Amino acid sequence: MSTTIRIDHLARVEGHGGVTVEMEGGAVRGVQFDVFEGARLLEGLVKGRSYEDISPVLSSICAICSVAHSLTSLKATENAFGVEVSPQTEALRDLLSLGESIESHALHLFFLAIPDYLNYPSAVALAADNLPAVQLGLRLKKLGNTIQETVGGRAVHPVNAVLGGFGRVPGFDQLAELRAALAGAAADCETMLEIVAGLPAASFFRAGIAFGALVSPREYGYYAGEEVTMALDGESETIPAPEYKRFTNERAVPHSHAKHSTYNGRPYMVGSLARLVVNRARLGERGLAAMKRLGLRFPPDNPTDNNKAQAVELVNDVDRALRIVESLLEHGLKDEPPVPVAPRAGAGTGITEAPRGILIHSYVYDEAGRLTAADVITPTAINAASIEDHLRRAAENAAPGEEAALTRAFEMIVRAYDPCISCSVHVVRRGHDG
Amino acid sequence: MSKPTAGIFGLTGCAGDQLVILNCEDELLDLVNLLDLRDFLMATSANDTRCSLDVAFVEGAVMSRRDEETLERIRQRSRFLVAIGACAVWGGVAAQESNGNHAALLEDVYGPLGRQYDAIPARALHELVKVDLNITGCPIEKSQILAAIANLLQGDPPLLPQYAVCAECRMRENNCLLIEKGSVCCGPLTAAGCEARCPALRIPCIGCRGPADDVNTASAWAMFEEKGYTRADVDRKLRTFAPKGGRA
Repeated sequence: MSTTIRIDHLARVEGHGGVTVEMEGGAVRGVQFDVFEGARLLEGLVKGRSYEDISPVLSSICAICSVAHSLTSLKATENAFGVEVSPQTEALRDLLSLGESIESHALHLFFLAIPDYLNYPSAVALAADNLPAVQLGLRLKKLGNTIQETVGGRAVHPVNAVLGGFGRVPGFDQLAELRAALAGAAADCETMLEIVAGLPAASFFRAGIAFGALVSPREYGYYAGEEVTMALDGESETIPAPEYKRFTNERAVPHSHAKHSTYNGRPYMVGSLARLVVNRARLGERGLAAMKRLGLRFPPDNPTDNNKAQAVELVNDVDRALRIVESLLEHGLKDEPPVPVAPRAGAGTGITEAPRGILIHSYVYDEAGRLTAADVITPTAINAASIEDHLRRAAENAAPGEEAALTRAFEMIVRAYDPCISCSVHVVRRGHDG
Repeated sequence: MSKPTAGIFGLTGCAGDQLVILNCEDELLDLVNLLDLRDFLMATSANDTRCSLDVAFVEGAVMSRRDEETLERIRQRSRFLVAIGACAVWGGVAAQESNGNHAALLEDVYGPLGRQYDAIPARALHELVKVDLNITGCPIEKSQILAAIANLLQGDPPLLPQYAVCAECRMRENNCLLIEKGSVCCGPLTAAGCEARCPALRIPCIGCRGPADDVNTASAWAMFEEKGYTRADVDRKLRTFAPKGGRA
């Protein structure tokens, strides 16, 4: 008997995507993570434009990752022109990306993922029975947005981060307010951990998983770093950013129109869990304690543990953001203008960690600073192959005839990856009925 | 009085305008109590996809046949349709390919397979259906969407500024980036409502809200020329977010 399970339009994800799994008897015939977000062709549209225009346009690829797109774009252009930014700019960019991650993780955990675990269709429905949990999620989300507004000038599509630095460095009073908000969030982080620790287990299969993450050179973060570590079966390899094609290796595959990224022929996972695999030794004390408390084991063998990893990061991010703000306040903020940027012909690659994984922008400029080629590879595009692999494993592992349970499992697996489908400019869409 | 039924939808875009609504952390729980939110796929998996709606908020541009069908269905079931964000109002950043090379661009980004995809050049909502209210911005401003919803709940027409960013910039007493620094600032021609966020950060306006109605165009062009910019230089900037200019 053949069965097709189709989830036409996934709810509670950012963007438009679906899942189709075809099964015959106990065998899985085909698995597709479909993306039917319209093609916006932004990489093509920025060709020929001046270096100053690139970051604001490419930041509009995605809202929830707009800080990551913006900073990755700046990093790529600055690498192409050999621009060195100040330590204060580095610290503020670190802080800005922590703000994005706090907002995104709080949104994803409380509004998109936790309702799954507790069998609610939405956070609004959850609020009817557990208002404090939803209010807690909103407070943490707002904290992330406050950081983005203070440092980036706006919560969605930040405007203040520019080539060479910031338009206007936040003032002492603004950062002092932020310090108070961050210090006040410690109790919320504790309650959030309790909620996540108390969620029912979600395990649809166990298997070895390959991971990839940007190496945090100092403390655990999202912005700094120029190398990516691929970890697979207890072995790892570290690859410099300009050689990113060694692990993206995008190719068209016959069963799906999505270009798939593989490393040594295997799909791999990027995002919170992957970052913990690569960078967990760089976590602060609170982050380490959270990791222990949630019982995460390494190497991880269950992709839904990505939700626990998000909770660990949320704790660590709030703590680290507070320490950055304290240090900036202690050392005094300089109202410095952005360092001057002189365009030249050349190529530059920037890699950062978006909340949902590695984000790559790679550009080529001509001598006048006009962009001649742009390559943008998003975490959801990288994760697409791994999502399909894990949907297949869940289908193979399921008891026969349990379609409803399987549909729910598929949704939970996809959502655990925190996919951002607008972002996946490289995941090529298929027709809705294709 | 029963609560008005509402839906929030996204066509092709970055979901930033829906995110701005979710970013109203202090107002969100009140909002869901004031509106009978029936269809909001980004936030809930329990949606009524057929019921009639008193008001529909739609973000994103129309960039596929699927988007066309979705928008037409939304229009048919909605009494009042609000376009939210520069993509829905103006076509947005993806509508820049004004020279009609869509097929070549598709192939450039996606390879030979690109030509098979359900992808059409970006259009604003008003190019396909009647739009009852446009709330622009990339993304929209929280204050404007909340005020518009409050107005609609009271049965009042929402008021949106018709003047340019320059007006708000003067009110904030920022130094003028165009007159004093000679930067290409799109403030004189761009719709206000952002409280001149960028110039206040010493960053020239990039026109993300699209053109304003009530502007002194001749004086703005004269000022740009005086600072040594050609019409083409400024036009290119202005047309990044609102390539199709001129309100419908």
